[in-house]
Amino acid sequence: MTAYRLPEGGLVDRTTSLDFRFDGTRFKGHPGDTLASALLANDQLLLARSFKYHRPRGLVTAGVSEPNALVSIGSGARTDANTRATVAELYAGLEARSQNNWPSLKYDIGALNNLLSPFLSAGFYYKTFMWPAAFWEKLYEPLIRRAAGLGRAVLERDPESYEKCWTHCDLLIVGSGPAGLSAALTAGRAGLRVVLAEQDFRMGGALLSDSTAIDGNSASVFAEASLAELATLPNVTLMPRTTVFGWYDDNVFGAVERVQKHVAQPIAKLPVERLWRIAAKRALLATGAEERPLVFGGNDRPGVMTASAIGTYANRFGVAAGKSVAIFTNGNAGYRTAADLLRHGVGIAAIIDTRSDAPAVDDLKDVRIIKGAGIVDTMGGQRLGKLVFERSGYEEVIACDAIGMSGGFNPVIHLACQRGARPVWSSELDTFLAPDVGGGLSIAGAAAGYYTLSACLADGAEKAATIAADLGFAVTADEAPAVGEEVDPSFTTLWYVPGAKSKAFVDFQNDVHARDLGLALREGFGHIEHAKRYTTNGMATDQGKLSGVNAAGILAGMRGVSPAEVGITTFRPFYTPVSFGALAGTARDMHAAPKRVSPLHGWAERNGAVFVEAGLWHRSSWFPREGERTWRQTTDREVLNVRENVGLCDVSTLGKIEVFGTDAAEFLNRLYCNAMAKLPIGKARYGLMLREDGIVYDDGTVSRFGENHFFVTTTTGLAAGVLSHMEYCAQVLWPDLDVRFTSVTDQWAQMSIAGPKARAVVQAMIEDDISNVAFPYLSVGVVTLKGGLKARLFRISFSGELAYELAVPAGYGESVADAVIEAGRAHGICAYGLEALNVLRLEKGYVTHAEFDGRVTPDDAGFGRMVSAQKPDFIGKRLSTRYGLTAADRMQMVGLKPAEKDKTIRAGAHLLKDGAKPSTINDQGYVSSACFSPVLGHDIALAFLKSGRERYGERIVVWDRLKNEETMAEVCEPVFVDPLSAKLKV
Amino acid sequence: MSFQSRHPLEGKAGSAVRAVDHLEIPRSVAIATVLSRLSDAAMVVAGFAAAGDLTMRNVAPGEWLVLSHVERAVNLERRLAALLADIAEVVDQSEGRVLLRLSGPNARRILAKGVAVDLDPSVFTVGQSANLRCGHIAVNFARSGENEFELIVFRSFAESLFEDLLAMGREFDLSYGFSGGLADQG
Repeated sequence: MTAYRLPEGGLVDRTTSLDFRFDGTRFKGHPGDTLASALLANDQLLLARSFKYHRPRGLVTAGVSEPNALVSIGSGARTDANTRATVAELYAGLEARSQNNWPSLKYDIGALNNLLSPFLSAGFYYKTFMWPAAFWEKLYEPLIRRAAGLGRAVLERDPESYEKCWTHCDLLIVGSGPAGLSAALTAGRAGLRVVLAEQDFRMGGALLSDSTAIDGNSASVFAEASLAELATLPNVTLMPRTTVFGWYDDNVFGAVERVQKHVAQPIAKLPVERLWRIAAKRALLATGAEERPLVFGGNDRPGVMTASAIGTYANRFGVAAGKSVAIFTNGNAGYRTAADLLRHGVGIAAIIDTRSDAPAVDDLKDVRIIKGAGIVDTMGGQRLGKLVFERSGYEEVIACDAIGMSGGFNPVIHLACQRGARPVWSSELDTFLAPDVGGGLSIAGAAAGYYTLSACLADGAEKAATIAADLGFAVTADEAPAVGEEVDPSFTTLWYVPGAKSKAFVDFQNDVHARDLGLALREGFGHIEHAKRYTTNGMATDQGKLSGVNAAGILAGMRGVSPAEVGITTFRPFYTPVSFGALAGTARDMHAAPKRVSPLHGWAERNGAVFVEAGLWHRSSWFPREGERTWRQTTDREVLNVRENVGLCDVSTLGKIEVFGTDAAEFLNRLYCNAMAKLPIGKARYGLMLREDGIVYDDGTVSRFGENHFFVTTTTGLAAGVLSHMEYCAQVLWPDLDVRFTSVTDQWAQMSIAGPKARAVVQAMIEDDISNVAFPYLSVGVVTLKGGLKARLFRISFSGELAYELAVPAGYGESVADAVIEAGRAHGICAYGLEALNVLRLEKGYVTHAEFDGRVTPDDAGFGRMVSAQKPDFIGKRLSTRYGLTAADRMQMVGLKPAEKDKTIRAGAHLLKDGAKPSTINDQGYVSSACFSPVLGHDIALAFLKSGRERYGERIVVWDRLKNEETMAEVCEPVFVDPLSAKLKV
Repeated sequence: MSFQSRHPLEGKAGSAVRAVDHLEIPRSVAIATVLSRLSDAAMVVAGFAAAGDLTMRNVAPGEWLVLSHVERAVNLERRLAALLADIAEVVDQSEGRVLLRLSGPNARRILAKGVAVDLDPSVFTVGQSANLRCGHIAVNFARSGENEFELIVFRSFAESLFEDLLAMGREFDLSYGFSGGLADQG
């Protein structure tokens, strides 16, 4: 037994015990523990198996950069895989399981990989599994994925809730260590709106584990007092458990707050995680620095940690990592850890210092200090038992149960480098620093290369004061707190400890050791980005937080250049993993997308409608009656009833735009390809709108209510697009035109009343005379419903029947629709839906966006003559005449009828010449829309066929590759019912 | 014939108890879009001010929503047309827009879950309004009091916005209910 809970000390509540389980075994910890510190206190050193070789692994760090201690926490649907034990807050009832081992953590079959490791070098998979290609997907990859891996995602539905939130501030401070806290105090006192975000559940950062005194007290007391003061300032928001993971445009930061990740049973009305978007005028990174691991033989054995982690476990959590701890260092920081441990009564096996000229340290007189030496191997089974050091050919074995390695410091600069700026090498500090990224983001404290407590406190205050002054706040200089004796944080350069007798790991999580980097270099992958991908160094869930700089240093050493030349791989969001749940927020189930409903939705529901989602809209699709078993039966009945009697269809979803202004006519004349300027008041006209490239954009109707007042409709799908297009035209293309418009789509409930008996029904509803003489085809006007309600009436038709569109203020829609049905009862009226509407229009050869699919010109669709030759200009005019758009062999819209009446034609099928081999090489065109025509008793279709209008009467093959069917069809004019439109104008 | 107007949220029962944070659905609000040339915008704004009892919401340069809680739609449209004759067009939107009013000490925290603008009263002041998105849905958003906000939404989106707001307010036990009488016949 080695690691243990110290008899006293630490920021844990020793009066309370928390029960938890790891791999089924019961353990006890205290509030204030992380899962890692509690496991360490219980001497559970072995926590995981490594990714590739399944080597036994334990804790390396005490924080966010932990590469090894990934566990699954929770059970069933509430399982979180790959959680770092070092940041998981302990709670009563926590259940954690180790990962990537079988049958158990202790006896893992996969560890055989370790014996095969000579064959599993970097690039092994690339080299071995190259062929046959088909084997990769079917055999190799599944095998490799099963063998190497992390925790398993559960497939159950996530029962937790998540949400997103915005917040705004003058200054966002990331990190609540000495620099962050001191900056928050300065900025908060000056009156800035400050957000102080801290990923830990306890704020204070390094102050919680630093043994240096501040103002005569422990650093954690200073942290507590500072936080207490900040809590009283209304302009300061403290956000513990909040990781700022990304820096985005406009100085918006992404952060995830773990609201209820530290409880066994979350409160239902609160989310478990909250994704914050923090819009900050200024931001200050006070993210500290990571202690660099040393790359030496056997450095991955459980019990080997960074010295600062051992210090943190002792000082903050009251846990000793071992009874006899060796320190391996290339600087003075390691000595501070040794001193801390001695003070806690923990034995120091030896301090091995790679520097032969290391300065003498007075208070460690009784400790064996071995200068100018390096560790070359470690021994032990699943935990450290001994180390081997080497000095000038002399080797010695020392017994120890933990090693604290201290290889210098790497500032945590990820956020500053997420938007393209590259880290810059500092030969003075022997590491990468953040570049100057402009005024929006500054760096303070250890993240800026200030490694002493006093320098961090001073730098935080100074940077905050500069920002405050910059934003126009008056700052009063505060007296700096008095800091006790500090250690000189300097260290020597040491990327690789020579003489390694076993694997010297660089990336613990992905099992990349120093020799892998050498192999990458030898095989031509020496560029840092290539080496990363060849060896997978830095590609694990920790994204190279510990390994990135070491890999750069080692490669530089191998190449004989400065790390400045090698550089470091790109930092990207997220800084630490973010759950999909948090990214989705509330946007799931009914909240995933808004549901748009027509003002006639309730009416349709009451009439038994079946709805279909069309974009966001839920539209009535058909209205089944008793005895009807399929949608086709219902649709056929609805179509025939409209052709014979009358029907009512909800067309409220079409886009509706009021257009005003003395230049409104001119504006619309330029917007549409057909003539609009001379549209008489009280009339409607079909309008065809092109894109600049001459392709049809949208179609609809244009009605004129006054000299300077028009009303245009759009298709349902492009209602918003057309409005933006109009805004663009008015604001950018023709700002000189006097025109204004606004959407009234939602103001009107609009119903189409179509069929030979439509007039009788509509006339029964309204006061005005709508006889064919008084209100002929394409008339529009304001009418008065019986009882006084004002409405708009349009005599337009999308069915080929005598038809009216009646628009009433939306709220009255249901009431009026009920009245129409009532008035139509004697005439055999029925409600009809989108399916019948589609059949009715296809029988007449009317087009929708199934035809206008972004490839079709007006001429392709048979509207060539509609395009005005007289107008000096309109959108699409110039490019309409380019060669490809006027070619004779363009696909033109035609009708299709099956040669045998009982055969089916489906939309999407392609057209082939009779006898041609079924292949896209022989493609002659495609079917854009198809349906069964109940009037004709067989299928009909609209299709686009090369030179189609010259080919009426030709027999052609309709080739449906999906159903593997070929059907003979006859090419015909694209109109199947009432070709002379006699029914429209009666 | 007699026709009744139906509010799109009709049928939502309302909370049994009114919480400190409350989502109010005023039953009848007259709303009109007013459009003017940019050069006439100042005159239009002066016209609103002269009228005294009208609430004006910014939509875009030269475009406003005008609200009245006392007038019927048709009267508001007529009155505005007279008030702004020759300088603006008036379009009734009373049936096409739905007003929701969120108030209470946590109103800002609730809305911050959907609205990206800074809701600090010194930044987004009482009386200020803007077109923006609340979650997925476009709204005209206004601060009608220190802790009171009004959202005007397209009728077709009203139910979705309403459900979203309730979800956003769940943390604070947000209550809701209609206010005002039944709408009269237009």
